[in-house]
Amino acid sequence: MFSFIVRRILVSIPLLFLASFIAFILVVNTGDPLEDLRTKQNVPKGQIALQEHRLGLDKPFFERYFSWLGHAIHGDWGRTVKDKAVWDQISRSLGVTLKLVVFAEICSVLIGVTIGIISAVKQYSWFDHGATTGSFLLYSLPVLAVGSFLKFFLAIRLNRLLGREKNPLLKTIGESTANFCNVRKPQNCGFIPATTDFLTHAALPTLTLVLITFAGYARFARATMLETLNADYVRTARAKGLDEKRVILKHAFRNALIPVVTVVSIDFGGLIGGAILTETIFEWKGMGRVLVDAVTKVDPNLLLCWFAVTAIAVVLFNLVADILYAVLDPRIRL
Amino acid sequence: MNDEVAPILSVKDLTVEFPTDDGVVRAVRGISFDVRPRDVLGVVGESGCGKSVSSMAIMGLLPKSARITGSIKFRDRELIGLKPKEMRAVRGRQIAMVFQDPMTAMNPVYRVGWQLGEAIKAHNKHFDKKQIRSRSIELLNMVGIPQASTRVDNYPHEFSGGMRQRVMIAMAIANNPDVLIADEPTTALDVTVQAQILEMLIDLKDQLDAAIVLITHDLGVVAGITDRMQVMYAGKVVESGTAEDVFYTPRMPYSIGLLGSIPVHTQDPGAGARLKPIGGAPPSLINVPPGCPFSPRCPLSDGTLCETVDPPLLRVGPGHLAACHHSDKLAAMEDPLRLFSAVAE
Repeated sequence: MFSFIVRRILVSIPLLFLASFIAFILVVNTGDPLEDLRTKQNVPKGQIALQEHRLGLDKPFFERYFSWLGHAIHGDWGRTVKDKAVWDQISRSLGVTLKLVVFAEICSVLIGVTIGIISAVKQYSWFDHGATTGSFLLYSLPVLAVGSFLKFFLAIRLNRLLGREKNPLLKTIGESTANFCNVRKPQNCGFIPATTDFLTHAALPTLTLVLITFAGYARFARATMLETLNADYVRTARAKGLDEKRVILKHAFRNALIPVVTVVSIDFGGLIGGAILTETIFEWKGMGRVLVDAVTKVDPNLLLCWFAVTAIAVVLFNLVADILYAVLDPRIRL
Repeated sequence: MNDEVAPILSVKDLTVEFPTDDGVVRAVRGISFDVRPRDVLGVVGESGCGKSVSSMAIMGLLPKSARITGSIKFRDRELIGLKPKEMRAVRGRQIAMVFQDPMTAMNPVYRVGWQLGEAIKAHNKHFDKKQIRSRSIELLNMVGIPQASTRVDNYPHEFSGGMRQRVMIAMAIANNPDVLIADEPTTALDVTVQAQILEMLIDLKDQLDAAIVLITHDLGVVAGITDRMQVMYAGKVVESGTAEDVFYTPRMPYSIGLLGSIPVHTQDPGAGARLKPIGGAPPSLINVPPGCPFSPRCPLSDGTLCETVDPPLLRVGPGHLAACHHSDKLAAMEDPLRLFSAVAE
């Protein structure tokens, strides 16, 4: 197991280099980071040249790439077009995204897998039919529709109904109230008010993500569970005289868990890149927003750092998936 | 045989039907048989004849959609219609089962000791961990697993096919069942291992005083070890008797067809070297035509009686029953076993 992990990490290194190179090609060809500056009138030529030099745009392609890579390896992710530290922005956004996706993913998995199991055990019952219909409905709805619906029809109406337009119960903008805790409002600086503030902000985007995600897990869990429920070893378990609860949980579910856990951990790696649409609808400054901003403003260092973080996350969670697979299935030796 | 002894398992007019989109599949169409203590009953027939379905009905393991009628009595206690909880107490304790494919019949993620222990614990709630473990090792020793005390901690995939089937048998005998149903226990195994497994089953039967229902499509398996055998076709018993009755004086053409399908070793390269298959295929069990279900494939079919009246299972000798309108013709034949080759020539 240990040697497998070391081997996998070693194999990941050239993979990440390759990914960074491809990302670099894409980023370089996104556009001109200084277009704004160039199209403005009365900007002295010298200033543009200065900016070009600062961002390394005046160097040839490979020199630019290896210079970026050399700095990145040492943890220096460079500065944005607006001359701010890239890593500060990325790490802040990563924190915001994690707050959103970790809880949403956990909820989606728990709800989805539970529904999937019940659907499989009670196949073709009213519950199964209802869950199938509901799953497909939510699965096929775009995030945009679910998010906007929740924002305008649930939150804003609920707040109005409660007469709390000034201090809404469900916050629809941002991940926390701006200037929530400062010198003038010291009562807001404790753990409880800060948590309450966060939860009222997180409720809607989390609900949005859960609604569009859990359905997929429900379908997947149902399918794998149906397969294991029909397995020979489940019949053997019943033939031993075990009670149905034990047959379903210890035998069918334990085996259905293997593919579910693998899929969930791989999915999780992808979530680090941020929930672009949800973050946009609810104006969270997470990784998804960073990507959108970096692309629209053509900010090469910011984009490259985003790519690097997401690539590492994907590689890492694939490794986690492999390890979990080996832990759950004794037939797999790492 | 010991006909005076009361049967331990008594099946009467058992029918099993499965409603499907294409119609009702009548998988078992009224079978009756008795199993007496320490009996070995062989049940033979080709795939889809209802062998496995009837054994699953006895175990109460059929899906809920199955419609079961008739009677299955274990020591005068009716099993059909038992509450799930009551049936669980019977399963694995009084009637246990060994399945066909030991590769898939064990849960791949648990150690064999855990799976054995689970079977023990299911009917001995008061056992502690130590007792369960020592009983598991004892069971593995009984079925001839070498180094049982270390093998108990292995996973199923660490065993060969034959060894896995031994573990499956250990699981089935964990609670000294009175009836052991073995559904094709050797079909998935190497020929060299088959005989060992069968021999072990018979040994265990004597040790445990259990009765065995041995389901197979391999007449060779049945020949040496069963007291009684019954031949099934299209959801019915078409012939039953001792192995000698069925092998030497078969009174139903289907039994003869099955016998003709076994490879025989012979000194004379001309005779008996070719296998004689039964032409055609068994009827669909959705719309079973009237008359004898075997008549479309039967060289003795008269085209009238055989195709209109389903022959009842009648006595053709002491303890020997057959369902054929023309069993008297077979009795009169000099060599009934040549029935199919006679037609072919």
